[in-house]
Amino acid sequence: MADYDRDRRHNNYRGGGGGRKRRYRDDDDYDRRPQRRRYEEPLFVQVRRQLLTIAESAARRVEDDIVGIAKSVADHYEDEELRDTLVNISLDLVLEQPMKIPFVAAVTLATHNLKPELSAEVLKKASNLLQKHIDSGSWREVKLLIRFLGSLQAIFEGDGIFPLLEEFFARAADLQSASSEDLLGLELVKVILFTIPYVMSSPATGFEAQASALLEKTDIIASTPHALVDLVNTFSPDENKEAAGPSVIGLMQSQLQAEAGQGWELKCLPRPWKSVQEESEEQKPFEVVTKVPFPQITVPSAVPNGPRPLFPEVYLSVYAEQEIYTVPPISDITSSIVRDALVDTINLLDFNRVATAKYLIDIDCYFTPYTFVKRATPFDRMRDLAGEGQSWKPEDVAVDAVFSQLYQLPTPEHKLVYYHSVLTECCKIAPAAIAPSLGRAIRYLYNHLETMDLELSNRFLDWFAHHLSNFGFTWKWSEWVDNLELPAIHPKMAFIHGALDKEIRLSFAQRIKGTLPEPYIPLITEGKEKDTPEFKYLSEMTPYSKEGQELGQLIRKKASDDEIQPVIAAIEEQAQGLGVEDPKVPSTDAFVTAICFVGSKSLSHVLSCIERNKDRLLSTGSASHQARGQIITSVMEYWADQPGIAINIIDKLLNYTILSPLSVLEWALNESIAAGTILSKPHIFEMISATVGKVTNRMRQIVAARTQPGLYEPQLSVLDETLSRERVEMQALFKFIEDAIISVAAGSNDELMERGDGSGDLPEDAIIRQWGRRWLRVFRRKAGVEEAFINDALAGATPVGTEAPALTQGDDGDVQIGDADAIADDQ
Amino acid sequence: MSVLEVNTVDRLDRPSAYYAGKNKRRRDDREERDPEPNNKLQGATTLYVGNLSFYTTEEQIHELFAKCGEIKRLVMGLDRFNKTPCGFCFVEYYTHQDALDCMKYVGGTKLDERIIRADLDPGFEEGRQYGRGKSGGQVRDEYREEYDPGRGGYGRAYDEQRQREEDEYGAGR
Repeated sequence: MADYDRDRRHNNYRGGGGGRKRRYRDDDDYDRRPQRRRYEEPLFVQVRRQLLTIAESAARRVEDDIVGIAKSVADHYEDEELRDTLVNISLDLVLEQPMKIPFVAAVTLATHNLKPELSAEVLKKASNLLQKHIDSGSWREVKLLIRFLGSLQAIFEGDGIFPLLEEFFARAADLQSASSEDLLGLELVKVILFTIPYVMSSPATGFEAQASALLEKTDIIASTPHALVDLVNTFSPDENKEAAGPSVIGLMQSQLQAEAGQGWELKCLPRPWKSVQEESEEQKPFEVVTKVPFPQITVPSAVPNGPRPLFPEVYLSVYAEQEIYTVPPISDITSSIVRDALVDTINLLDFNRVATAKYLIDIDCYFTPYTFVKRATPFDRMRDLAGEGQSWKPEDVAVDAVFSQLYQLPTPEHKLVYYHSVLTECCKIAPAAIAPSLGRAIRYLYNHLETMDLELSNRFLDWFAHHLSNFGFTWKWSEWVDNLELPAIHPKMAFIHGALDKEIRLSFAQRIKGTLPEPYIPLITEGKEKDTPEFKYLSEMTPYSKEGQELGQLIRKKASDDEIQPVIAAIEEQAQGLGVEDPKVPSTDAFVTAICFVGSKSLSHVLSCIERNKDRLLSTGSASHQARGQIITSVMEYWADQPGIAINIIDKLLNYTILSPLSVLEWALNESIAAGTILSKPHIFEMISATVGKVTNRMRQIVAARTQPGLYEPQLSVLDETLSRERVEMQALFKFIEDAIISVAAGSNDELMERGDGSGDLPEDAIIRQWGRRWLRVFRRKAGVEEAFINDALAGATPVGTEAPALTQGDDGDVQIGDADAIADDQ
Repeated sequence: MSVLEVNTVDRLDRPSAYYAGKNKRRRDDREERDPEPNNKLQGATTLYVGNLSFYTTEEQIHELFAKCGEIKRLVMGLDRFNKTPCGFCFVEYYTHQDALDCMKYVGGTKLDERIIRADLDPGFEEGRQYGRGKSGGQVRDEYREEYDPGRGGYGRAYDEQRQREEDEYGAGR
């Protein structure tokens, strides 16, 4: 009857007849209300939740959960949904939450003994995924899947995972002997090295010989430093050999060798099966009775490079130089194992920074209980706990891992702001525990500003200001007060100035002033507190003041170019009379300064001023070299107290092509180099990096267009020509930077030599030369990275001259495209 | 970046319930409805940014949001009558990915010491820069009972009422 009613009502409703009565509407609403739950939560939902949150709670014994999950699923083997849940969620966790791999493996192990058909399904899915990721060259995913299979070593016949690892090594050896520059081989070795500990800590026994034999082989590859290691080091070994970190695989290699000598203690890795086995005599869920063959995996003879560009990795710890260890030292394999698991977790979960932060804070749930001290243990307490069998401070270990990514060179996997946001969330979840750790990290980074890679010290600056903006701009500035006496170009002073400027950019000067102790107050100059900087032409003392004011008025009332031209002409005429070399310089100064002044109200104001006067600016920019430089000078001078706004305007002028990238470089590194002292200014580094970034981004877009599949002549040649032309321009740009800075670094810059007595021995000369070296390193690396990117991309591109395959009659469009792709792939 | 289609934890780059909800309300009145309201957000490059202070400037917004990619356009939300900022804006990027990253990394963090909200938006249209509240600002600022110094004090509707009561009280005396 109810069904009948319902149908009738719906017919009526759909018909849209006028007879639809209020009563129906009410009924309708009633029906839509959520039904009271009549049943228990389905088992698969329960198991799903248990599995997803495995090991997350310190209040529950993870061993019980593992056995519980395995039992539920094995007992209800006929429930397809439940089986799928187990299989899918297990592998989802392997690929997204690597810290849980040992626990997920334990569930599979327990299932294997209860219901081998079930674990067979897990293995099948794991091997399918592994094959897929090997074929696409996704080496991190390969590493995680192999780690999972390695943890299950006990259920495999014979040597289990080792033949696969041997095959990986064979490929790595081939790649390495083919080229000393090879990076893919290093990646394969990394997969091998980070699998071994999980195999050796698994319930499988008797594989020491295999592990050692493999280690002996990897040694030569892992321990030979790659040529690029120095280039991506946090510290250039030339600047600071002691602080320069070891390569990740070199470090892991030596740690594994040490571990082999100590009977594979691997004390940080959890063995959730162990205690269960020891406790009960009759119930042995993890003791394997039936063994199965290791799944069939094919490693192609030519292993693919994969979607991510490969670079060597360096181990960085911001807690390396404390008087007491709070993080495992590099002599302890715990450092590498925990770091690797954390880094993958951080990079995989970028879509939910809150979850990432939570897993970082909960790090002690995923390793053995004696790995970490209690959460939020104060630094001073660590002193008492130091010594043999020491445990580590979980917050420091977690924060260290985030910094290792924030300071990854040449670029981290995600935008820098992601790593900022993870640290912000960590601080929100556990402020009392995390804030002191961050404080010590900041001190380490600050104390190493002189020798740190310049790109990284700028990342530090950016993070620092952004982080403080999320926490009321509170920082213990008082501890750096002594450094205020350092020369202005000293890296620490440059940092303090730069950080305050960046804070102001996110807030406003008066607010920041209020957060500073007295000695810093003079750094917030009066000019920084002014919303509208003074318009110099308002002063009668300024040459061309009448014309400058007039220009301001004209621009404000949106006058046409015809009205502006006479004023410009008047300035140029006067200048000529005064014997000014290029009369376009004073006229440009007045024009651009007036635009800045009228547009000072906001970014959109200045943009619309620029937009309205675009043609004049464009022709000025192309008219003379000096005038072009003057555009930049005028903007930078008008906004001298708020350089963030200045470089933002420069950036927009580049977009309008009023300025060319080269003109910005010329302005900074030739005209305004000021004996190299300009290199100490963080906003100049920011401006040059952004300008170079525009060029390299454009280059990469052209490369993407040139290398897209299914491209034929004549487009191929057109794009190839564009690419070659722009590539030459990009190289010229890098060459310009190199030439401009090398003289500063070498101390042979003319202005630098003319300073003082010309001996080059002034106290600041050494600092200037160091700035030069640090700049050189950054832009040489950028140039190298871009060249490598283009070469790699072009290696797989359709060659110029490839014609579209001839069309056969009767084919429809779709088929043609499909065929074309197939042909392109074959070539 | 995760390779999974369905993730083990929620994603922060999904459109909020606001957009879907707006569509649902309309659905009750009309026969046809958008089969997949989120379609319009596929490839969206614009974000609606809310809970800004009235005093936050374009430059501050630019400074923070440029951390997720180059900004193509920034439109400040204005009071319909006064043409002064009223606490929201639209940020347009060049790419969809930048907009998604912004939801993930910047939405829910602080700007000018306020937790801001970032929501994927189908795109700015002329007229949308104005507040839709009765008195010209955003609707939420009409009826707010808490005092928010960054957004004009109490809700304007309450403010009026309070003012009236005060005047009457004075007159009675």
